[in-house]
Amino acid sequence: MLLYILRRVVSAISVVVVTLVASFALFFLAPTDPAGVICGPRCTPERLADIEASLDLDKPAVQQIGLYMKGLVVGRDYTAGGVTTHCPAPCMGYSYTLGQPVTKLLAQAIPVTISIVIGGAVVYLTIGIMAGTIAAQHRGTTLDRITVGSTLIIASFPYFVFALLVALYATFLPESQYTPFLEDPIAWASGLLTAWLCVGVTNAASYTRYSRASMIESLGQDFVRTARSKGITRRRVVYRHGLRAALTPVATIFGIDLAFQLTGAIFTESIFGLPGIGLLTLRAFGQYDLPVLMGGVLVGSAVLVTMNLVVDILYTFLDPRVRLG
Amino acid sequence: MEPLIEEADLRRTGSPTDAMGSAPAGPEKKVKTQGKSPTAIAFARLRRDKVAMICAGIFGFFVLIAVFAPLLARLEGQDPTTLNQDLLDQYGYPVIGATAEHWFGVEPRLGRDLFARFVYGARPSLIVAGSVTIITTIIGVTIGLIAGFAGGWIDRILSWVIDLVLSLPYLLFAIAVPAALLAIFLGSSENAAAEDVATTRFYSLIIVLSFFGWASLARLIRGEVLSLREREFVAAAKVLGVPTRKVLFKELLPNLVAPIVISVSMALPSYIVVEAGLTYLGVGLTEPTPSWGVTIAAAQSYYRNFPLFLWIPVFAITILVLALSLLGDSIRDAFDPRTRR
Repeated sequence: MLLYILRRVVSAISVVVVTLVASFALFFLAPTDPAGVICGPRCTPERLADIEASLDLDKPAVQQIGLYMKGLVVGRDYTAGGVTTHCPAPCMGYSYTLGQPVTKLLAQAIPVTISIVIGGAVVYLTIGIMAGTIAAQHRGTTLDRITVGSTLIIASFPYFVFALLVALYATFLPESQYTPFLEDPIAWASGLLTAWLCVGVTNAASYTRYSRASMIESLGQDFVRTARSKGITRRRVVYRHGLRAALTPVATIFGIDLAFQLTGAIFTESIFGLPGIGLLTLRAFGQYDLPVLMGGVLVGSAVLVTMNLVVDILYTFLDPRVRLG
Repeated sequence: MEPLIEEADLRRTGSPTDAMGSAPAGPEKKVKTQGKSPTAIAFARLRRDKVAMICAGIFGFFVLIAVFAPLLARLEGQDPTTLNQDLLDQYGYPVIGATAEHWFGVEPRLGRDLFARFVYGARPSLIVAGSVTIITTIIGVTIGLIAGFAGGWIDRILSWVIDLVLSLPYLLFAIAVPAALLAIFLGSSENAAAEDVATTRFYSLIIVLSFFGWASLARLIRGEVLSLREREFVAAAKVLGVPTRKVLFKELLPNLVAPIVISVSMALPSYIVVEAGLTYLGVGLTEPTPSWGVTIAAAQSYYRNFPLFLWIPVFAITILVLALSLLGDSIRDAFDPRTRR
């Protein structure tokens, strides 16, 4: 068991390191001329050289990657025009256009993305599992057909179009904006409500289908029949016995899905103007702000890899049938 | 659980044993009972599915629009790039609605013909989604076949690569990679021509989507091959001395038709959405390429006064994607006798 976890952790770390090196190679070794971007149009060669030296852009590529990794672990010093700035431990450099440390920008953006994803998840899990359970109980009836048919249509509706139409036409919903939770929880909830509903409704469709399928399977099991024959009420059998067994596969899908949503909240963020990681990365793209792009990609991969790892390890505890080979 | 319903369903979709479908019982003497592969059975079942046929018809309609875009635009007498500035007032708002000359009216601000933009806009969507689907299918199937069949260290390396690609945040990369590719191909971005940027963006979008798209199919195919390669017919082919390449493509590949067809039918609509979505965000295709995503992004600020500007591409993309998704679902049902609606 310990060996399995250890092996998974090592493989997860290797994925993140490869991502780091690959994206570094792509962004920093491409002839993007970041010093020129910072320096602006009226640039003297001396100033350009000074900026290049301060960002270590004049050093060989391998050394640059080394410095970047060192910055991530122990921090890094930048010397520009005789003034030394220290960038503390998880240092990802400075934004070319905003002049702030990338770590700080990401730290501001991450809570926004997490708020959107978690709130949305509450909405779609509630709707999805309820609708799926009800549809499974009435399998084959008109109600079930309507549920399955409509989930199919909702799930295949292009998400960004749906979100855009909601943002433009559903003006009765509160205006979207981000207020930190600790500052004002009510403003936080009302500002994110529209985004939550959007994420919730579209994703509820697929969760209805998952939980319906899972529920049908669990209701067909022997223990459900036994429970019924013991005289336990139908309602209690469905919700206590059937649903509990049906939720394990749904939880697995949810774990993997959650990670994708954290990196895929970009449409929600950009349409509703919420300053999360996606919007940060998008802005960085428009301005060729490579350290920010790189930071966004790194955090995204780390989140995805960690979530997959956590799901895999939890699954070995949850499901005794999983054999570790 | 409910046998009555099951029977009814089987009758509706055709049971797996019902190979010849409803063979005419009358004058025809020879009942075709042989020579029907599972694929042929699936297609026969698909042909009986009304929803699938309607959806296929809609898809065909959009393909025709894309193919005959220049012809349709000439029929209208317009083209997608002419700036009809004379049809705009001083604030850049069009003074005409839908007229005989401009069937869907003209764009605010630039005054380009909307019908021509609409018909030409079908092209990049279908070309990008189609080529990405083809590329990812070829790569995914090949890698999956090799990994599953070869085993050993080849499999271990390929599986690691598949896991790597699957655990990358591909939307973030889809934003970041074109930026780097632009810099590599065009050097400094400021003095590059709009045409060159648009072309580079077009290819970098295909490259990025292909790079991230093949892995899930490869994993699926690898799993299938792992179970298939232990079967007798493969062992027999090996004993007979059939070369590995032939075993892979003549023995194994025909058994993988169902998962491949299903995956293709699911991939196509999802790539259309991704292309339009990324283009809408401003990181996919760009002006002057006529694309629905570009039009939606431009139209969102005019939605109140010029709903037609926004709704034409919105309708087009929604109908196309819905039709393809429903078709994909029917195809999956047709190829998998176990699934029931």
